[in-house]
Amino acid sequence: MAVAIAESLTKRYGSLTAVDGLSFALDAGTVTGFLGPNGAGKTTTLRMLLGLARPTSGRALVFDRPYAELERPALRVGAVLEATDFHPGRSGRNHLRTLAHATGVPDSRVDEVLKLVELDNAKNRRVKGYSLGMRQRLGLAAALLGDPELLVLDEPANGLDPEGVRWLRDFLRSFAAGGRTVLVSSHVLAEVAQTVDRVLIINRGRLVVESTLGQLTARVGGSVRVRSPQAHALREALAREGVDATETEGVLFVRGTTSKRVGEVAAASGVVLHELVTDASSLEEVFLELTADREIQ
Amino acid sequence: MIGQIRSEFLKIRSTRTTIGLVVGLIVLVLLFVLLTGLLSHGKELASSDDQLNFLGIGSFASLFAALAGILVVTGEYRFGTIRPTFVFTPRRWVVVTAKYAASLLAGMVFALLGQGLTLAIGLGILSGRGIHRSLSWGSLVQLGLGTVAAAALWGGIGVGVGAVVRNHIGAVIGVLVWVFVVENLLFGFVPSVGRFTPGRAQDALTGMSTDHLLPAAAGGVVLLAWSLGLLAAGLVATRSRDVD
Repeated sequence: MAVAIAESLTKRYGSLTAVDGLSFALDAGTVTGFLGPNGAGKTTTLRMLLGLARPTSGRALVFDRPYAELERPALRVGAVLEATDFHPGRSGRNHLRTLAHATGVPDSRVDEVLKLVELDNAKNRRVKGYSLGMRQRLGLAAALLGDPELLVLDEPANGLDPEGVRWLRDFLRSFAAGGRTVLVSSHVLAEVAQTVDRVLIINRGRLVVESTLGQLTARVGGSVRVRSPQAHALREALAREGVDATETEGVLFVRGTTSKRVGEVAAASGVVLHELVTDASSLEEVFLELTADREIQ
Repeated sequence: MIGQIRSEFLKIRSTRTTIGLVVGLIVLVLLFVLLTGLLSHGKELASSDDQLNFLGIGSFASLFAALAGILVVTGEYRFGTIRPTFVFTPRRWVVVTAKYAASLLAGMVFALLGQGLTLAIGLGILSGRGIHRSLSWGSLVQLGLGTVAAAALWGGIGVGVGAVVRNHIGAVIGVLVWVFVVENLLFGFVPSVGRFTPGRAQDALTGMSTDHLLPAAAGGVVLLAWSLGLLAAGLVATRSRDVD
């Protein structure tokens, strides 16, 4: 079942077309990376999805309805658009309480989400004194107030330190593990490659690629690297699955599949792995190539 | 809607902006009441008109209510909280109407404080200086209740203006220029038109004795029309525009 749908979604600002006939569907239980360079139209698309901006043509549906027609939408959809959307003089807890009141969520839930994002020690401090990472987490706490089924995050890793990025990745994984749906935008594929199942890549407002991460990896043509004391056995096991691999001194380079699949094959055939890596740099190259401006003007 | 009004009320209470406005109002009222009450010659406070002007100093509350109303809306655009606000409540008319309702209440509180202080201290000064109170109880009640009603409606005017203008500096300056310049010029040169401005309508409602004002009830209706009209403008402006 599609949780959210865009149908020929288009947004023009004067002569500038920010989003150009974009169509996609988000399936329940998936984590989708919404990727594209800065200015590709990601944020505009998310705004239209959330009813903040009106499409010039086409439509966006969330749970089969335009967002604005959902009853108490925060109980189904959580969103973070900007990490800075707080009144600096209001405490984190009061920020959440204003939103909780608006959607009929009790204050006890406010304290719950504060604990969840590890902000309960800072909750009574004014947001002015929060670090960027804390603000990102407060935004996330707001999105989680209504215990939503769909989470929409716009560039949530922006400005996070490596520890923050890891925290976010772990969080999104556990969120999606419960069968819930995530749409997370980024202009850096590597940032989300370890989190997402599917990718939507847009450039200049148009959809360039819609695929699973596995398909994208396959398209790269060889990007899973495996180190194993039983590399030879693994290569044979993979060959039986119809997957080619080349072996160099105990390291296999596997083409046309995902790290997930390789790991499964290894487990099924009892092969010990020392390392299993999706080569993010080559993924990044594909991403850059896909979103490169090929029109010569 | 009740939840949204609670939300808007908490927004008003949970920053120092409101405290700043309340403190500003109190300081201004104290300053003017004490200076006028203590420094004026006894003769200048004797007539009922003089006393009406003196005890009407609390009408400042309206201006502060309007500023509070403006900031209730423009603060959300300024700090970006409008995004989560509309994501949580995508029916924008609910948000604007709740802000209007919360600002009506805030305006009443401002007036109760400002006008209450003025009356308490002002009447105290009059009796302390042995000046006969020439103003009737009826006039005092009209002044008090009229100011509360007017400040409430001005709070709503602020929300309407804020929703149309969105930018806090533009909206605040616009209202200040309107109140201190435009209304006075209009009323001074074309009183038949100027008396329909919200400020002069408030004067009429609170029983001020200036010439050319509308009758009190008409003043109340005119002020209500301004407030509701600007609410309508704010609703239209908010409904149709994208949020960045």
